[in-house]
Amino acid sequence: MEYRISNRDMPLEDKLNILTDAAKYDVACTSSGVDRKGDGKSIGNCVAAGICHSFSGDGRCISLLKILLTNECIFDCKYCRNRCSNDVPRATFTPEEICTLTMEFYRRNYIEGLFLSSGIIGSPTFTQELICRTVWLLRNRYRFNGYVHVKAIPGAAPEIIEQTGYLVDRMSVNLELPTAEGLKTLAPNKHRKSILTPMRQIQTGIQVNRNDLVLYRSAPKFVGGGQSTQMIIGATPESDYQIINVAESLYRKFDLKRVFYSAFVNVTGDKSLPALPGGPPLLREHRLYQADWLLRFYGFRAEELLDEKRPYFNVMLDPKEDWAVRHLERFPVEINRAPIEELLRVPGIGVKSAQRIVAARRSGSLTFPDLKKIGVVLKRALYFVTCSGRMMYPVKLQEDYIVRNLTSEKDRIQFGSDGMSYKQLSLFDDDRFSRPVTVIERQQAAVGQL
Amino acid sequence: MIVYRCEDTLESVFTAIYQAYEEKRNHDDTFLSLNDDPYFFAQDIAVRADETKTRKVMGTLRQRFGEEDSQRLCMALAAEDAEKAQAVYRTVVQGLRGRLRPGHLFDNLADRHVHRAFALARGVGTEAGHQKQFLRFQELDNGILYSRIGPKNDVMVFLMPHFADRLPIENFVIYDEKRNLFGIHPARKPWYLLRGEEADRPSGLRYSDTEILYQELFRQFCHTITIEDRRNRKLQTGMLPLRFREYMVEFN
Repeated sequence: MEYRISNRDMPLEDKLNILTDAAKYDVACTSSGVDRKGDGKSIGNCVAAGICHSFSGDGRCISLLKILLTNECIFDCKYCRNRCSNDVPRATFTPEEICTLTMEFYRRNYIEGLFLSSGIIGSPTFTQELICRTVWLLRNRYRFNGYVHVKAIPGAAPEIIEQTGYLVDRMSVNLELPTAEGLKTLAPNKHRKSILTPMRQIQTGIQVNRNDLVLYRSAPKFVGGGQSTQMIIGATPESDYQIINVAESLYRKFDLKRVFYSAFVNVTGDKSLPALPGGPPLLREHRLYQADWLLRFYGFRAEELLDEKRPYFNVMLDPKEDWAVRHLERFPVEINRAPIEELLRVPGIGVKSAQRIVAARRSGSLTFPDLKKIGVVLKRALYFVTCSGRMMYPVKLQEDYIVRNLTSEKDRIQFGSDGMSYKQLSLFDDDRFSRPVTVIERQQAAVGQL
Repeated sequence: MIVYRCEDTLESVFTAIYQAYEEKRNHDDTFLSLNDDPYFFAQDIAVRADETKTRKVMGTLRQRFGEEDSQRLCMALAAEDAEKAQAVYRTVVQGLRGRLRPGHLFDNLADRHVHRAFALARGVGTEAGHQKQFLRFQELDNGILYSRIGPKNDVMVFLMPHFADRLPIENFVIYDEKRNLFGIHPARKPWYLLRGEEADRPSGLRYSDTEILYQELFRQFCHTITIEDRRNRKLQTGMLPLRFREYMVEFN
């Protein structure tokens, strides 16, 4: 099957504009998870931590050349800018154009690799084939050895997904909406099952490949950087509790590397979508990412953070602070004794600081200034830790007291002030009362003006 | 009290450390200084950098502290800081005294000198990371990729291996305008550094025909990828400090 490229002679700038604009609502732009040295003959290598090459005006990183192959889509998902019933300019790249752009940008250190997604052109299998053909060209004809992330198109034939998997570093299938009901109302052409099938296939592929690599060291790698997915937050009425439960089971059952959350932006103005007068739900998205980190790196479980009765995250406190103030019976934690799992649960102590604390306390007991050096955020941690049995300030282990101090900038214990710095509130502890009386004021007082 | 007067180079500092051990000094009463500030009641010893001594110290550090930590010590010495030699020296002394396993040199962060060396190394590491992110090559009319940088610390030696591995078939030059230092990589050959004179500052460079086109395309790409509803300048400048913008094509 061949495909017809409409506007074949459209200039490259216009195509890039249209297809970048069409791809920008996809979140994943990471280039992490693969460590691959250059081979001395082709261009490119990969760094495990990933590299962000620029940051756009919204503060999101630009790591990969994030484009669609085409935005001529036969699907009609209500939230999507590229839905077939939307009137937007359409364009399609040729594989050669994508390869040239990638190579020229990569040589100049603009990008870390290619992120290729696509609208559904013809059929899912055909679209996947086109993606596969483009990446094959990039790898074999243009000899590109950098990072490539492509979408697995739900509903595509398994053989072609497998072929693509051997060419790329990361694959992702978008879950789009956290629940099957949401998917049914907003994306009538997509089904939960057709999304989870390729996800399962990639997971199995990665596991089989891992075993192959043990036997044959030079076996080709299958999706070496793992797979990821993304969910749109705020387009359908799911609670945070449902969302992180979905995320947790994806991590556990599908071995995903990342789940991305994307605050819903209403780009189509469809009547079945919520209007967002206050802008996209960015704080909610932020809280979900914080919780996501707690699930993956801090040993928390979803039901510890939220439950049926409290299905939403606290707006004022981050999920870890929120958990800590509800479990004050587990605090304070002694820095010089506590196992690393308990240190990780203290607000203000991250994974790095916890590791450093465990390493540093072998050489001697630690004090609060040492913690500051190590990188602990004391303004959050001080309510929850002791060093050699002492707290930093005499604070009360009471929920409302700690919440008040954590949330309001004004009431917070002041740092740098010597000795004990919180005191009983009094009418006269205002700064203005402590300065000496000026000459003018004395005169004004004498003549009765003050 | 002994003060070794070193130059601001890795070789010089490592030679001084070698000498301090060779001459069996009391390490608690010995200092490494990079300048000529006087110390009272001190005996000054000028250090002349020596390659074999440097190599021996490097070998010992690698063997005792492991690859990663010895690399960190080198990074600390690339920082722009007057106290770095002393911090590195004291860290090495503590490490050799303590019979540490490799990879544990920087465990004792409660110690002043260890923390100082650690913080300096981290600073240099961050800066090198930033340069790997934000450095931009421009294609000149003879096909060479050229990049101008102005880092706070001397990070060139940490950049060159990365880019040489990444672009082995390209001729490229990275030019540090603060130190007048060139990192040069001829295609398919090992890279090397060249320290230039004042007259060597590059000027009148001419771009290749397609260079402007790709710069414009990338500028457009960065512009289009921004989601207007999420615009957040504070986040952007937090991740990409303004001082790098001068060297980046998409902000010109």
